[in-house]
Amino acid sequence: MPERRLSADEVRRLYDQHGPALVAFACSIVADTATAEDVVHQIFLRLLRGDTLIPELPVAYLYRAVRNAALNSRRKGNRSVSFEDQPVAAKSLFQHDDGNREAALALQAALLELPDEQREVVVLRIWSGMTLEEAADLSGVSLNTAASRYRYALEKLRERLKPYRKS
Amino acid sequence: MKEHDEQFENFLREFQPRRPRALPAPLAVKPIWLRRLVAAVVIAVSLGVSLWSLWRKSPPRKDLTAAKTTQALPLSLLPLTQLALEDPTRLDAVLTEASRHVLPSLRGSESTLRALAKE
Repeated sequence: MPERRLSADEVRRLYDQHGPALVAFACSIVADTATAEDVVHQIFLRLLRGDTLIPELPVAYLYRAVRNAALNSRRKGNRSVSFEDQPVAAKSLFQHDDGNREAALALQAALLELPDEQREVVVLRIWSGMTLEEAADLSGVSLNTAASRYRYALEKLRERLKPYRKS
Repeated sequence: MKEHDEQFENFLREFQPRRPRALPAPLAVKPIWLRRLVAAVVIAVSLGVSLWSLWRKSPPRKDLTAAKTTQALPLSLLPLTQLALEDPTRLDAVLTEASRHVLPSLRGSESTLRALAKE
């Protein structure tokens, strides 16, 4: 697949389009919003400087790069602030369409309770709009494994978020 | 069950990840050749300055001065040989004159012998 350097405008457009989901994805690995943003910025700054050639369809590349950077950051123990220690503003990674802040925080807390691999597949499927095949490919597991992780994760989230759902 | 999951997925999609803070402007990075050139200039300048300051601090050495004086009177073998064949008396005079610059002085108040005697 041909690779190319992106212009600054293209990079900023990609950031506007995929930045929020990428931060949510990074947050599923590092569990700290500020670190997740740092990780995503690191990838986009590299693109802005023109250090990196990327494929014509950059989305899969971006998720892979963010995943690797987030795993590295976690391995190095960068700023491992626990969810409880974060200020409320930093905690709210999500916002609800109806402005239900409590539900948004409950969702984030419920996500953080999931095992890493389940959280990852949920974020990829729900907020990054990937198919289960794409999520499995990115996580380096079989489709069956990704599907069962997803199912278990949905069950747990459904239970935790029951009070916030309109019947 | 599938419909049940889809409903819940739609519920989850009611939540949107917040927009992260704006992307900072990258620091302007100079091209590699420029960075190398700057490094070379810095090294050259610092080397020059340290050599210059070293040269400024060190006092003039006497032995170097003596060597310079010696070099000022070249005693070449060929003219000396010619002189010896033609005029031995003049050869003596030339050698005596040259020896004043090459050999240590043995007479007068500044002579080497007097200095040694004092010690």
